[in-house]
Amino acid sequence: MKRIADIFIKAYQAFSSTREAKCKYYPSCSNYAAVAIRRYGLKGLAMASWRLLRCNPWSHGGVDYVDYELDSADALASMRSTMVSDNSNNRKMKEGVL
Amino acid sequence: MGFILNPLYNIVSGVMVFFHNVFSPIFGADSGVTWSLSIMGLVVLIRIILIPLFVKQIKSQRALTALQPQMKAIQNKYKDDRQKQSEEMMKLYKEHKTNPLASCFPILAQAPIFFALFTVLNGIAAKTDAGVPAPIARGFLKGEYLESAAQAKFFGAKISESFLGTDLLSVKIVTVILILFMSATTFTTQKQLMTKGMPKMDSSNNMMLQQQKIMLYLFPLIFAISGVNFPVGVLIYWSTTNLWTWGQQFYVIKRNPTPGSPAYEELQRKRSHKAKLEGKEIEGVEGSPAPEAPKVEGQRQQPKKAKKKKK
Repeated sequence: MKRIADIFIKAYQAFSSTREAKCKYYPSCSNYAAVAIRRYGLKGLAMASWRLLRCNPWSHGGVDYVDYELDSADALASMRSTMVSDNSNNRKMKEGVL
Repeated sequence: MGFILNPLYNIVSGVMVFFHNVFSPIFGADSGVTWSLSIMGLVVLIRIILIPLFVKQIKSQRALTALQPQMKAIQNKYKDDRQKQSEEMMKLYKEHKTNPLASCFPILAQAPIFFALFTVLNGIAAKTDAGVPAPIARGFLKGEYLESAAQAKFFGAKISESFLGTDLLSVKIVTVILILFMSATTFTTQKQLMTKGMPKMDSSNNMMLQQQKIMLYLFPLIFAISGVNFPVGVLIYWSTTNLWTWGQQFYVIKRNPTPGSPAYEELQRKRSHKAKLEGKEIEGVEGSPAPEAPKVEGQRQQPKKAKKKKK
């Protein structure tokens, strides 16, 4: 299931990359959904749906991570400086940039 | 799924039947023009409903010009950390309660409608295994409406026929033309956005730029491949949507371009040129740094700038 969700999100991101940037939040809804579902499964799906509902014309958007202490730029920077594990670091960076 | 999809079928078919009834007295109840217009009517109605959101977005984009100095500062400060840069940018928008970006929900909310239309139109086009037409009624599109829609023609091709589902040359020609039109509008819309509508990207975004270029050519191809399976009616819907998107974007790029994009600079040049021709003095130029100078708009912008300096 997680893999299917991931493929759908990737396909959506490929398509939306050709359109004007839309999402009011950082990271974008699709990116948030990918991380949330990968990390929390069904609960992540619920989190992603809630985020999508919040991404409406009347909200002001902002910075909203799945886990701020894991994904934010500051968290990543401190992780890089301590060099916990190269592997997970790289993965995290990809998630952040996409 | 039925409890979600049935209301959508009702909405889509209801709108189609409504427009059918509106256009029937003019073009005739069984005319292909009436049915084609009712499909286009659905697109136009959805897009008109979405216009207020679109206007709201444009307004926040305009408000953004006042934030340009702060945005530049953020870009410079975090030029090595794109994530931090994006975070700070979002914080800035939130602080000033002006987010230039649209939002995801209205865009994704259109997808089920498209899916419902696809199912409704496919229902009209349904055939038995032996190839005998057996339209399936969905929502309000039933009885005589269904019969009439199943026979309706768009430039000689039944709106229920698809390229692969027929041997008729007329249907093949019409579907090919519609697919070409769809691909062309998608291509030009993307191309226009990429070359004029978006802020110039620095080299750190090379990968994204590359990806966009691939998509630019990939999507028309995907349309061509998938389009041969779709009934003419769906192709009409798709073409109309694309045309609308293109027109809307054309308007935005000409009149309200995103700050920092080539189209924006062009508009600024035109405006300052016009201001000069009209003999208006542009104040405040001497106060701003040199690269900013050509960006100074007409007089309208000035109060904002003066306010900033006082702070």
